[in-house]
Amino acid sequence: MTTKTIRAEYLKGLWDENPVLRQLLGLCPTLAVTGTVITGLAMGLATTFVLILSSLVVSSIKKLIPAQVRIATYIVVIASFVTIADQFLKAFFYPISEALGPYVPLIVVNCIILGRQEAFSSRNSIGRSLIDALGMSTGFLLALLVLSSIREILGAGTFLGYQVMGPWFKPWIIMILPAGAFITLGILLGIALKIESKTKRS
Amino acid sequence: MSLSSRMILVLTTVGLISGGFLAGVAKLTKERIALNIQAEIEEAIKIVVDDAEVSTVLYEEEDLVIYREMEDDGQLAGYAIQATGVGFQDKITLMFGLDETLTKITGLTIIDQKETPGLGAKITEWVAFLQFWEDRDATGLLTLRKPPVRTPPELLATEINSITAATISSRKVLKIVNLSLEKVRGLIAEGKITSEEHDDH
Amino acid sequence: MELVAIFISAVLVQNFVLYYFLGICPFLGVSKKIDSALSMGLAVTFVMSITAVVSWLINNLILIPYDLGYLQIVSFILVIASLVQLVEMFIRKISPPLYQALGIYLPLITTNCAIMGLALIAALNGYSFVETVIFGFGSGIGFTLAIVLMAGIREQLDLSDVPEPLKGAGIALIVAGIMALAFNGFIGMLT
Repeated sequence: MTTKTIRAEYLKGLWDENPVLRQLLGLCPTLAVTGTVITGLAMGLATTFVLILSSLVVSSIKKLIPAQVRIATYIVVIASFVTIADQFLKAFFYPISEALGPYVPLIVVNCIILGRQEAFSSRNSIGRSLIDALGMSTGFLLALLVLSSIREILGAGTFLGYQVMGPWFKPWIIMILPAGAFITLGILLGIALKIESKTKRS
Repeated sequence: MSLSSRMILVLTTVGLISGGFLAGVAKLTKERIALNIQAEIEEAIKIVVDDAEVSTVLYEEEDLVIYREMEDDGQLAGYAIQATGVGFQDKITLMFGLDETLTKITGLTIIDQKETPGLGAKITEWVAFLQFWEDRDATGLLTLRKPPVRTPPELLATEINSITAATISSRKVLKIVNLSLEKVRGLIAEGKITSEEHDDH
Repeated sequence: MELVAIFISAVLVQNFVLYYFLGICPFLGVSKKIDSALSMGLAVTFVMSITAVVSWLINNLILIPYDLGYLQIVSFILVIASLVQLVEMFIRKISPPLYQALGIYLPLITTNCAIMGLALIAALNGYSFVETVIFGFGSGIGFTLAIVLMAGIREQLDLSDVPEPLKGAGIALIVAGIMALAFNGFIGMLT
């Protein structure tokens, strides 16, 4: 494994290895909760919480876990933090928790989280795992914010619930329907690939 | 230590720690979560029955709860009916109020729905739909007025307003209310609930 | 809700892929050929039906009676992971041809969010035992329908001139969007 600077370790999650736009991981929540910015943001933060804490725990107990049961152990660790996030949202942000529905418990099967444990935290120091988790979460959060901003502004004419489009604007309802999620993300992936190939060539 | 006993030891330890930890968290949040759910219902009742302060459950079955609402001074404020039924896309849960005599609707609010965003979901916020439920006749079948009207006096007492581009969802809401009203009338006829205010105990 | 309504809703109206966005990874990953898409769909249907039964039993016989709701996520995911392993061993033992057809897809299913989603949504909706079974089977059929249709379209797409950056996942998602729009037409057919 090549050693990167701390900065590079963090930044890779934002673009080069962005979980959504470059690795196509965690697409289910990305599509499902980005109808409004607030739900996208809440999902991003809940996932950040689970990813960071799971990475910390896994990287600190990695030497104690026999290889055969490592996946089972990761799953229990992740599921525990997901439960905490779920209960916390239900207790203190009830309306958001209602809006997110089953997608908060479903963080447990978000491939980004298990993927980072297997690919990174189980082989790296606690500090490095923390930086990696921070970078990946930021990348995930950014992707959710971009997608949910586009969908909320075009689909409802609002941003975080505030009217941003003039009275002339007729909301494109398709954007907040499932169809809009698929199409917008498809186009975003295309744009990401285009930018990537441009920067590679120059 | 052999590998298999180490595997069992690790899994048991992880399981126990996580279980214990979660039990602790659940203890801390349980009460608050229950309060949140209760607050949602109370808020809905306050919207549909004026001056409702004290609720008693009069009748409860799957998908239908009837509350008797008292004012602060013990006066009967009205009744609140919580009902769940099939919407356009998924279940809709709503709350509507009835006056002291159980003959007039005093208001309606949607508690939970998963109708199409931007279209059917208008049932939660469309003022000319929600506000126009007041004073509807609760003694017979209600019908939908389509195309929608602009002011309440244009409606008959047995009519409710429809929503442009959400006709089916408004019809679904109406159907849930009509079914619940039928049950309420049945319960009155059986003497299980009475419109006069008196204590059975 | 009636059983027929639950079934039709799970297949067409609240399709797992096109409405709940669950199982997107296999939906994009295993939809290049119709026959492999069909095998994947059948494997998912099979596991979903079993998961529906097992998760209902756990939820209603253990978690709810003993007030252990906070262990729901942990127990569901562990049970699903071990269930898939068991199903894999079982099929390998009793039906090698079936194993050949479904085998390579089974391990992929463990991390498939559609299975976990099924257990959670069935619990959330408070379905009875029979309803849960119908819901699980219907959701599997719905997944199969979506992934097979997708594979059919993608086989045709191979022959068309897709802009370079959209090749692969990009165009697949856009096609999925159009499919979701078409499936919107099924909403309300239960009225």
